[in-house]
Amino acid sequence: MDATVVADEVSRTFGPVRAIDRLTLEIPQGVIYGLLGPSGSGKTTFLRMVVGALRPSEGQLLVLGRTMPDRAVAARIGYMPQTAALYPDLTLRENLAFFGRIYGLRGRRKLEERVEQLASDLGLLGWVDQQLYRFSVGMLQRASLACALLHQPELLVLDEPTVGLDPVLRRSLWAHFRQLAEQGKTLLISTHTMDEAGRCDLLGFLRGGRLLASDTPAALRRQTGQADLEDAFLALAGQPGIPVGEL
Amino acid sequence: MSWQRVLALMLRIVRQFRRDRRTLALILVVPVLVLSLIGYIYRGSGESTRLAVVEGNSPLARQVIALLEQTSSLHVTVMEREQALQAVGRREVDGVLVLPTLPVQPGTPLKVELILEGSQPSAAGAIISAVSRALPLAIIQTVSPDGQALQIEPRFLHGGPQFDQLDYFAPTFIGFFAFFFVFLLTSVSFLRERLQGSIERLIVSPLDRKEIVLGYMLGFTLFATVQSIVMVIFTVAVLRIHYVGELWLVAFLTFLLTVGAVNLGIFLSAFARTELQVVQFIPIVITPQGLLSGIIWPVDSLPRPLQWLAQALPLTWANEALRAVMIRGEGLDALGLHLAVLVGFAVAMAALAMVTLRREVA
Ligand SMILES: Nc1ncnc2c1ncn2[C@@H]1O[C@H](COP(=O)(O)OP(=O)(O)OP(=O)(O)O)[C@@H](O)[C@H]1O
Ligand SMILES: [Mg+2]
Repeated sequence: MDATVVADEVSRTFGPVRAIDRLTLEIPQGVIYGLLGPSGSGKTTFLRMVVGALRPSEGQLLVLGRTMPDRAVAARIGYMPQTAALYPDLTLRENLAFFGRIYGLRGRRKLEERVEQLASDLGLLGWVDQQLYRFSVGMLQRASLACALLHQPELLVLDEPTVGLDPVLRRSLWAHFRQLAEQGKTLLISTHTMDEAGRCDLLGFLRGGRLLASDTPAALRRQTGQADLEDAFLALAGQPGIPVGEL
Repeated sequence: MSWQRVLALMLRIVRQFRRDRRTLALILVVPVLVLSLIGYIYRGSGESTRLAVVEGNSPLARQVIALLEQTSSLHVTVMEREQALQAVGRREVDGVLVLPTLPVQPGTPLKVELILEGSQPSAAGAIISAVSRALPLAIIQTVSPDGQALQIEPRFLHGGPQFDQLDYFAPTFIGFFAFFFVFLLTSVSFLRERLQGSIERLIVSPLDRKEIVLGYMLGFTLFATVQSIVMVIFTVAVLRIHYVGELWLVAFLTFLLTVGAVNLGIFLSAFARTELQVVQFIPIVITPQGLLSGIIWPVDSLPRPLQWLAQALPLTWANEALRAVMIRGEGLDALGLHLAVLVGFAVAMAALAMVTLRREVA
């Protein structure tokens, strides 16, 4: 079984800026892969290439067996951008119904059921028929997540999905993510928080567009001799430019 | 190509506008208000040009005054010379016509004086043209041996005596408003799609560029069509403009024009980063079309380089076609070139819109 995401020396430049620099990694199916890195390290840039919103400048990026960007796999990917990116003047139901139809969910009944189920999973049941401009930041975040989950994609790409959420909600979301992984879905999640990083099956440390390391949290702790992931990251960040394989 | 997706996009746009009462009012109520205003300007005016006539005692006088009084836009008052001169000085009248008093000194010409107030060129022009029509006619009528009046008998190939300025302008206003509003709304909505990031969701979704452009086109032209139907009904039923052609053709031409406007809006919104920058397109896209497309000044009357420019503007072709239908009653068969130009414009703009969308995955 091929890995869900295979990046081979992928780079992305914006003019003089190298936002992603020769990044190589594999994400097998059914895991939660956490991409950890400070602000500006290139997390969003990499995720956008994975979902096909951005073209790699160099290297090859295979997602679900296709070289990205490729619309043929679009319906099998769910993407939650860093900002809500929904229609504030429409209700949550209308937003979800719109994207549902775009993703080919057929049947009004089926769509309605899916909307209700997602709303209850994400604690938005009472808000389904409210326009999104009334939503708080955390609610918008969940609405955006609902939109990514809607068509039950095989690969979920979530850009800082839990920013602005309280610890209770955060925990329940991670439980949900774990459940999805157990169903065989692959999740690629960017984050800057260490406690979330610890919940991932695999972790990539990104800094300045370079992948410093990519392994299980336990292995990363062991390699750096640090008990804490944050210290592990700092230890790795202190030696920039070390190729992943030599760690 | 999936019609389900195109339809979903179109329905979303329709739904968003239904929510947005103010924009809805902008599309449907504002053109009606502006058309009413224009109608009132042309038709409601009680103020006509005022002319004082100093009668004198020539046999001509009676005829001249009678002829001037027939001019509907002229309000004629007979006055004494002193009184008339004071009136024009106080701007109570726009001009004074002093007809000769007989006998004149031998060797001096028979003089007709015309004193114009002069601060309103249009009033002065109206007086000069009325007087220069009335005088020779009066002379002929006076000297005509059998006392028969000479008559001008106008025969219109198109239009007719009942057609006035408003009838001439109304068809082009319909086209202009449709173009203007649809362009503005599309570029702002598309820009919003970019600003709020939802364009990224669309780009990574199974929607392809053709479907995005088509969905937008259908959504917005639906409103534009409703708008032009409202405008046509209003101008015909309320303003009671005179027209001869088929009204569905008017709606169809407007529809074609707005398809181009939607695509132009999508295309140009790629070059704006804020809504204020969209507004900056108005002087570039809308104003030249408003001035050069023959709404106010006939294209033929423009300086030659501007005529060439006018030929490149879609609104020029739309206006010509709309007038051809409403004033001359021409049908689809006579408008082949115009239709081709409008379709060509829409297709070219759709292609450009898709190119800018392709750049989205840069
Ligand atoms: N569209 C773009 N044009 C120009 N530069 C860009 C663009 N997108 C990203 N960059 C640059 O690429 C680098 C990485 O940005 P990116 O958004 O991927 O970081 P990030 O890790 O997601 O940061 P954050 O945690 O703050 O979201 C930054 O230097 C940024 O300025
Ligand atoms: Mg980011």
